[in-house]
Amino acid sequence: MSKTKKLIFKRKIIEVKNLCKQYKNLIAVNKISFYVEKNTVFGILGENGAGKTTTLEMIEGLRKPNSGSIKIFGYNALNDSSKIKEKIGVQLQSSAYYKFLTLREILLLFGSFYQTYKDPIKLLQMVGLENKANTFIEKLSGGQKQRFSIVASLVNNPELVFLDEPTTGLDPLARRNLWKLITEINNQGKTIVLTTHYLEEAETLCDRIAIMDKGSIIAINETHKLIEKAENPFKVKFLVKKISRVAFSKLVKLGEMQNIVSKQTEFELKCQNQDKLNQALKIINLLSPLQLSVSRATLEDVFIQMTGKTIENNGESEKAND
Amino acid sequence: MEKAKKQMIKLFFANIKMMARNKQALFWSFMFPLMFTVIFGFFFSGDKTNVGKVAILNNSQSQLAQQFEKTIINSKIFDKQDFNNIDDAKNALKKNEITAVFEIPKNFGEIKPDSPKELIVHYDPANISASTIILNFTNNFLTGANFNVQNVQPIFSVKEEKTSTNNFNYYDFILIGMLGMALMNSSVQGIAISITKYREDQILKRLTTTPLKTWKFILAEVFSRLILNLCQISLILAIGVFGFHGHIYGSIALIYLISLVGALLFQAMGFAIASLSATTSAAEGMATAITIPMMFLGGVFFPIDQLPSWLYSIVKFLPLSPLLKIMRQVGLENTDLFVDPTNLIVIFTWICVMLALSLWRFRLSE
Repeated sequence: MSKTKKLIFKRKIIEVKNLCKQYKNLIAVNKISFYVEKNTVFGILGENGAGKTTTLEMIEGLRKPNSGSIKIFGYNALNDSSKIKEKIGVQLQSSAYYKFLTLREILLLFGSFYQTYKDPIKLLQMVGLENKANTFIEKLSGGQKQRFSIVASLVNNPELVFLDEPTTGLDPLARRNLWKLITEINNQGKTIVLTTHYLEEAETLCDRIAIMDKGSIIAINETHKLIEKAENPFKVKFLVKKISRVAFSKLVKLGEMQNIVSKQTEFELKCQNQDKLNQALKIINLLSPLQLSVSRATLEDVFIQMTGKTIENNGESEKAND
Repeated sequence: MEKAKKQMIKLFFANIKMMARNKQALFWSFMFPLMFTVIFGFFFSGDKTNVGKVAILNNSQSQLAQQFEKTIINSKIFDKQDFNNIDDAKNALKKNEITAVFEIPKNFGEIKPDSPKELIVHYDPANISASTIILNFTNNFLTGANFNVQNVQPIFSVKEEKTSTNNFNYYDFILIGMLGMALMNSSVQGIAISITKYREDQILKRLTTTPLKTWKFILAEVFSRLILNLCQISLILAIGVFGFHGHIYGSIALIYLISLVGALLFQAMGFAIASLSATTSAAEGMATAITIPMMFLGGVFFPIDQLPSWLYSIVKFLPLSPLLKIMRQVGLENTDLFVDPTNLIVIFTWICVMLALSLWRFRLSE
């Protein structure tokens, strides 16, 4: 899925300045500042423990910051939380809903907490769960629960939706289904703030991304600009029968050359600019490659470059496909 | 205001629905007190002066012996069982088939110098309550007989002045105790466990992200639990009164009212426990550690004024003690609710303490 939406940035809907949160000796969030513009998808990317959820929960009014300011829709988040809560939708990480109420009853109950609310059946139709309206949540699969959890955050037709690791623990197909749903919600004019530790997810969904590491924002920008920050943004991958020393040394001079793990004659070359890429392609073509592909750097390359590490999904269990 | 009422009503009905659907929890919250009501009913309800079957081996033809036998039969305290000889009767006593053997020796009761002067009672000293009744009965009869023989009237006697004219028995005492126990268990445990579970499941946190105010959530929870309490009280009273002839002499409406005040007290205690517990199992442990000792020390089964005075001076201030005291005063002795305001003061003090603790520590999210 590629992001084709043309970005027309409007007013800032969230403004966070110098936000700090400390637990005893641990600084969970360290003086972070950022803003989120209307009708965009803003992603907070980082590995587990980076401070993503704490940041999100301070904005949602669930945790009090030690210092810093948060403005949402122009309101001060600490003093005007009830006005803000009317206009936001929140999906918590691994949030459970009432065990003995049906999906429809949960949506009706949560809807009653707001001034205006959407028809539960229409909401369930959005995620293909209308035939489960009278089912208890425990009877749903992992993906269905997650879809319900997202749709439950839309019960008050919010302008701003917070999704905390919405696809964690889902299998790849269920994850892609949720990406479609999130894009659909964004296309309805809603602003979305999501946290994730999936680089591909952030790259696919987000207009702007803040990369967090150890409580601080180490990079923040529009997704494409962030990727452009890669030291070697152009990549060429090729497979040859054999490679001469001369050709190899010429290619090494043009960029960062790497053997593909466990393959002697398959290489990846990362180049700094288009010119070097073109020169490399000429050399590679003379080698009559069996396979050749050219691509851009990804968010993962930028992440590794900035943090010196990749995000590991520590033994995370993949839930059954819904 | 209209919106607030609507939110609470929706939450209230959702709570009622959830309680009704959680069949296991519902079953046990009714089953536990009802089980005790029925068990105690079988043991202690009905004519509690009857001590069971007795054997009378009357070898005397005297008028006194005949009169003693007749008095035993007419007293309705004993059921007479016939035996051919003393050995059979003693065997039956050893096997606990009968409670006592009255052995009236030959010529007992005849006014002759050599006639036997002692009536023999065989009984099991382990059966304390029955043996006390049997010995008292026999001694009273013989004292009367002695006065008759000596042709004198007793000079000193007792004039009984009961604090209550109502004739309530141990089962009636227990029945009120069951109401207190049911209110305490279902409210303390019910609130402490369900609220901690909600927190553990992040339902409370999810609610915090909505504009719903904490007090509305708590009130809806409290009101829906009160409905459960009303059902419990009604069932216990119905089974106790109609099934086992228990008595409530005072106003039933007042019993309900005091029960609901008690329920509020125990719900506040449940919230306090929930606010102090991080996990459901911690809440469960704390609730059990509080309710089980209170069940015994608060006077559910025994009158607590029989405890050693130092212990009584402590346990009379436990939340359950003044509640049961008032309920028994109103329900059994039919006294005025405000005759002794100390108990009411203790109850309301507990409610205030528990509410203060809950307000101080209770949070919808971590």
